Amino acid sequence: MNQYFATIYRYRWLIYELVLRNLRLRYRGSILGFTWTLANPLLFMGVYTLVFSVILKNGMEHFPLYLLAGIVPWTWFASGLAQGATSILDGRLYVGKTLFPSEVLVVVPVLTNGVNFALSLPFIALVAVALHVHIGWSLLMLPVVALIELILLQGLATLFATINVFYRDVNELLSYAITALMFLTPIFYTQSLVAIHVPQIASILALNPLAGIISGFQAILYGGTMPDLKSLGYSAVVGFVLLAVGQWVFERYRESFSEFL
Amino acid sequence: MSDAIRVSGVTKRFKLPNIPKNATVKDFVIRTIRRAPGGPVVDALKSVSFSVERGAMLGVIGRNGSGKTTLMRIIAGILQPDEGKIVVDGTVAPLFALGTGFHPDLTGRESARIELLALGVSREGVTELMPRILAFSEIGEFADAPIRAYSAGMTMRLAFSVAMCVDPDVLLLDEVLAVGDESFARKCLTAIEDFRHRGKTIVLVTHDASKIEAWCDTALWLDRGDVAGYGDPRSVVAAYQALSAEEEPPEAV
Repeated sequence: MNQYFATIYRYRWLIYELVLRNLRLRYRGSILGFTWTLANPLLFMGVYTLVFSVILKNGMEHFPLYLLAGIVPWTWFASGLAQGATSILDGRLYVGKTLFPSEVLVVVPVLTNGVNFALSLPFIALVAVALHVHIGWSLLMLPVVALIELILLQGLATLFATINVFYRDVNELLSYAITALMFLTPIFYTQSLVAIHVPQIASILALNPLAGIISGFQAILYGGTMPDLKSLGYSAVVGFVLLAVGQWVFERYRESFSEFL
Repeated sequence: MSDAIRVSGVTKRFKLPNIPKNATVKDFVIRTIRRAPGGPVVDALKSVSFSVERGAMLGVIGRNGSGKTTLMRIIAGILQPDEGKIVVDGTVAPLFALGTGFHPDLTGRESARIELLALGVSREGVTELMPRILAFSEIGEFADAPIRAYSAGMTMRLAFSVAMCVDPDVLLLDEVLAVGDESFARKCLTAIEDFRHRGKTIVLVTHDASKIEAWCDTALWLDRGDVAGYGDPRSVVAAYQALSAEEEPPEAV
């Protein structure tokens, strides 16, 4: 096995401990605790439903559920990428100063947000039950879609975390890119809507590797159908390529980290 | 006797992070492709060679910026040398006064857990070692208080306890024995004595030349990355102090 993944595997219990630490620290001293994690998608669900369903009258059935099915995995991606991209910079107390393995630094925010994502899923199920939406056997595909998101996210986070050490402007660009990506990903609209109204750009928007993943979650949690395997497969391929590139760049420049932090 | 640490011709260069404030994307791309990021290069260690026998204690002295901490980081395996070779026989635990890596919001118990896992101790090992670490560190009821409530001495005591209880083959101590009260200092000394009796190796970095004379078998004097003296602690320390006295008048203590 390659050095990068071997280190991550070797320190899996350290990762476990640090993810637990992050979850604990986040809610230490707060009265509502985990409720805050649910408050975020809940708030967005309320506001976006008001905007898109009530004001703009998009006419989609059970729109709050559709929103949740997209926003919850999106939040994992956006927060994981934003925190992962600064993880090596934030870990400057450890990198090059202690034996703390820097590979671990990037994995931890990615997984912490992944746990928050997983903990929000029962809440989506609750909303589905409340709206009398039937979720079928395609639910078994959920871990597969989540795994593809994990691979894509870890690849991008590793890549940006490394670049950020040497070139901090990238972080500014990234925060704009994340906001833009939120609207370029089918969260507030469906891919079929794009295909009907603006077929010219449908194929361009489909290049976004997140599109297949988010649509996959929506198919499972909202439509009760199987995700589109073709676009999911495309996301998986892009994810693997980005992970390979990310870990290669990381390995190549890791020795210089301590000089630039 | 076999060597626990063998350092041969180790050179470590640092590029000073001198990124121009108005660097453009073009500059960045060119630098990255040429693989020569800007900034002057400093030789932190210049072809340093020495070895430490198993069970021996090496003392490292030198002024600030002489490469002592870089050398310790290379022995610990945190940094890789640019040239030369380093062989360490057995497990290493570093204990550096700067950067224990403890997060201020975590409790002492959580910090010790994370530190142990980062040192490569298994989960079962962590559970087994924890009571001993907490007892040795004498932090008592502070075990479940966040590190930010700790005094500097307490934090160091906890870090020292973790390093000792891991029971490495090679222990690296960088300016750590200055903190802590007298009774704990004595306890540390006893632990170090015991550690050495069991054939373990220690490298000690300190500004306190008397400790090097009193404890160490060999002394290494680093000056701007060069080995300025190596051998019998008394003569190395004497030469170091003679030069220091020459260059600057003795400070009033």
